[in-house]
Amino acid sequence: MIDLGRQVLDQQLVDRNDLNMGKVDGIALELREGRPARVAAILTGGHLLSRRLHPRIERWVRKLTRGLAPSRVQPLRIPWPQVKKIGIDVKVDFAAADAMPWEHWVRDRIVRRIPGA
Amino acid sequence: MSKLLKIALGIFTSIGGFLEVGAIATAAEAGASFRFQLIWAVVLGTICVIFLVEMSGRLAALSHHTIKDAMRERFGPRVFMLTLVSDVLVNVLVLAAEIGGMSLALQLVTGIGFRWWALPTGILTWLLLWKGSFGLIENGVSLLGMVALAFLVGAWKLHPDVHEVLAGLALTLPAERPVHYWFTAVSILGAVISPYLFYFYSSGAIEDHWGVDEIGVNRAVATVGMSFGCVLCIAVMIVAALVLQPAGIQPDRFEQLGLLLTGPLGRWGFYLFSATLLVSCLGAALELSLATAYSFAQGLGWNWGESVHPRDAARFSLTYTIMIAVATLLIVLGLDPLKLTLFSMALTSLTLPVVTFPFLVLMNDRDYCGELGNHWIGNTAVIVISLLASLIALVAIPLQLMGG
Repeated sequence: MIDLGRQVLDQQLVDRNDLNMGKVDGIALELREGRPARVAAILTGGHLLSRRLHPRIERWVRKLTRGLAPSRVQPLRIPWPQVKKIGIDVKVDFAAADAMPWEHWVRDRIVRRIPGA
Repeated sequence: MSKLLKIALGIFTSIGGFLEVGAIATAAEAGASFRFQLIWAVVLGTICVIFLVEMSGRLAALSHHTIKDAMRERFGPRVFMLTLVSDVLVNVLVLAAEIGGMSLALQLVTGIGFRWWALPTGILTWLLLWKGSFGLIENGVSLLGMVALAFLVGAWKLHPDVHEVLAGLALTLPAERPVHYWFTAVSILGAVISPYLFYFYSSGAIEDHWGVDEIGVNRAVATVGMSFGCVLCIAVMIVAALVLQPAGIQPDRFEQLGLLLTGPLGRWGFYLFSATLLVSCLGAALELSLATAYSFAQGLGWNWGESVHPRDAARFSLTYTIMIAVATLLIVLGLDPLKLTLFSMALTSLTLPVVTFPFLVLMNDRDYCGELGNHWIGNTAVIVISLLASLIALVAIPLQLMGG
């Protein structure tokens, strides 16, 4: 038995190389006719997080980030079978390199341009 | 590393974290205005911070979560964001105060105005973080911070009346200037109970992979380190009371604080004071910048670490870079460092319950601390002291702003 609210939602996501790749910002359930619902995927992404704070905050975030390359309205979906371990963190069979557009954007556009980096 | 060395290093670090611009300025202000009457505020704050630092180390050792990380997963994004916003507001102002403190120390020695020093000291702080190997810097700064012992020597040489010092332990009402009295009291409480201190501490415990074995070390470091910091803070108050007050000096400018140690220690006292101010503010500035970046990274799931290369923790590094830039700008623009210090410390007091209440819930949750959760004494002490600090601040800050 897994308590989705306490053991999965808002937990640290860790990729297959033990790198942090955001938090579990949402959980997607698949509703099935005549059978119990099933966990389809875990979701992560800034827009989803801002929606959970307040719909108005989500609108602000959308306006602020519109036009910036990594801004993606749809959250990243990690299918449930790729969830490998639920403990202190949620470990997934996934590469963070494909999942953190903002981290890479900040690294390439800003941090690398600062001397000494 | 042997356990004893670990304890010694931890104690040095916590003394370094304790005595910074806030503690020095508020204690000096209190001493000059009310002699030893506000010693109770230092002691009350110390009791609270000992409990909080011990709890943050225990949380890390038992649950392997930092405070911020645990707050996000236990309470969700809304409560987390509330604590984050309050952190950022308070930390930017306190960081500006620390940069102002460093700049004033350099002004005292060189005679060049503090605003000119804000940019160099801001850049120094940033470079030390950006270039990494923070462990070495941290321990170096903590060891250098021992120049603060000069205050202990100073207080000793001035032969304070022991009975009067002990009388200061009791909460008494002021004979005059009640608004200033209570405002100074909450500034002291805010300076002593600095939330960045225990956020920083819990992050360090995670980076050092603490486990159940460290519970004892943790308790020793928190108690001894903070108590020693408290003694130094009281020494500052005693020196201010015996040097500034008889001379009729109300320190409304930091330069006047430069005279503190010249009374008991002569010319050397002047340099020791400047060195203490410079080093302790640098240490606090480093911890504050990191603590803010930790808060973002741990609550939002970014990579973080004090020795990680900026390239590998881009958003984390960008966060402290922006923090330092904004804080430096505030001083360059000419914000008065002493007023800023007293105000930001009072503001820290005001926001204390936002930080401490969710933290206490975590410490009483069996999912995090198991059988080693909080004792009722710790809970009660933290609730009572942070509520008291916040309520006094709620009344004293507006009155002080209207009066001053």
